[in-house]
Amino acid sequence: MAILEVHNLESGYGEVQILWGVDMALEQGRLTALVGANGAGKTTLLRTIMGLIRPWKGQVLFEGQDISHLPPHKKADMGLVLVPEGRQLFTSMTVMENLEMGATPRRARPYFQRNLELVFEMFPRLKERQNQKAGTMSGGERQMLAVARGLMAAPKVLMIDEMSLGLAPVLVLQLFESLHKLREVGITTLLVEQNVHMALAVTDYAYVLAHGQVELQGPSRELAKDPHVQKAYLGI
Amino acid sequence: MALDWTTALSFLIDGLMLGFVFGVAAMGLTLIWGVMDVINLAHGPLIALAMFGVYLIMNFLGLSNPYPALLLTTLLALPVGMGIYYLAVHRVIDAPHLSSLLATYSVNMMLMGVMNAVFGGAPRNIDFSLGSITLFGDIVVPTARLVAALAAVLIAAALYFFLYRTRVGRYIRAVTDNRDAAELVGVPSTTILALSFGLGVLLAAFAGGLIATIFPFTIFDGGRYELKSFVIGVLGGLGNPIGSLFGGLILGVIEGLVPMFLETSWTPVIEFGLFVFILLVRPTGLFGGKS
Repeated sequence: MAILEVHNLESGYGEVQILWGVDMALEQGRLTALVGANGAGKTTLLRTIMGLIRPWKGQVLFEGQDISHLPPHKKADMGLVLVPEGRQLFTSMTVMENLEMGATPRRARPYFQRNLELVFEMFPRLKERQNQKAGTMSGGERQMLAVARGLMAAPKVLMIDEMSLGLAPVLVLQLFESLHKLREVGITTLLVEQNVHMALAVTDYAYVLAHGQVELQGPSRELAKDPHVQKAYLGI
Repeated sequence: MALDWTTALSFLIDGLMLGFVFGVAAMGLTLIWGVMDVINLAHGPLIALAMFGVYLIMNFLGLSNPYPALLLTTLLALPVGMGIYYLAVHRVIDAPHLSSLLATYSVNMMLMGVMNAVFGGAPRNIDFSLGSITLFGDIVVPTARLVAALAAVLIAAALYFFLYRTRVGRYIRAVTDNRDAAELVGVPSTTILALSFGLGVLLAAFAGGLIATIFPFTIFDGGRYELKSFVIGVLGGLGNPIGSLFGGLILGVIEGLVPMFLETSWTPVIEFGLFVFILLVRPTGLFGGKS
């Protein structure tokens, strides 16, 4: 069953249309990748799904309910959570305060301790740094904190925008490994990545976005063998 | 001029006490700027409105003591501020600064117009005295000023506690830090912005009410205190409400000491000289703030 569905979604900035009718469905519990070139509309799609940008046309359904026009905080309350591009941490707050902010949705509050343990187990580094100001941390630590803050919301669907951007390969590997833990605890994840090779290797299913539309979709393993994908995105 | 230390000390103490009260007014201005990058040009008339609020509530309820009326005025200021946010500010919150300046300036003009029509420009006075007490043996201090200074420190402490020790306070800091991110973790950012504006107006009203227990006032007095709030806000760091309390102290000291050496009319010259100087050499204020 699809927990998040996007039907014929169109949006953009000002007069400029970016999305030209996107259809997508995230299956419950699955790890899905959204890949595509720079400017294909990946981030715009996430921002439109969350409601940071108003959809011009089309629908977003969450657990079968039309949420197209709800403000982002209502969606976060329902369990649809975005880890935004560029981390967007609360830089003047400590690591712990950022995690506490992550647990803002009412439905996440009873699980605060459990989620905190889960997050500290995934990212032991954050446990050591819990009293440090988020603005003073390294890029990798910030990315961990951004994902961890998203997890504190007890998400049903977690969308992560450009997790690997600007990070050392060792860290990228570590973060991707942590994604499997998300599947174990039953979180549906949408991973938006420029690192197509890596994304197709770790996910179950993938969408390829080009010029604001879904160009290709299918099981990640099959897409990795697709000649067009290999030529256009994998450089093979 | 022969320096008389007792006189000097009493001028200084007087200045310090008023400084705390001006600091609270500035806190209201700088809280709003810090959270939403809006300069509230209706700050002054709202201070004046609060002065009249205390006066009118006392007359209406037949109170002889201004402090219950002050409390009521302060509480009323919160919904008034939130209302101003929803009506005038929210629609321009993402627009360039000029739009929000014009929006709050329009509120200023409307408030001034209505107050002028209803109350006229005549000075009013709250007829109540707590007498005076003697400190350090020979310094006489009007009790109302001491009470006002203590109340100002208390509300500053309450604001600090609210911002740093409560869930909603943390939401306000989160929205200040990164509004989109706050919205994404589930904070209703529009409500938080309105609440912050309401709190800013509440602080301005509290300060206005306290000033009304000390000085006579007219509807035009708000402008003076608004200017002081700007100077203090820059001294303490715009966007740093607690810094405002210290900025207020500095201004208070200047106001206390300058009249001992120069004509009183030099006070604003020195204050605004300092204002420009701080803007030039340390634009984030003495105690840091939002750049």
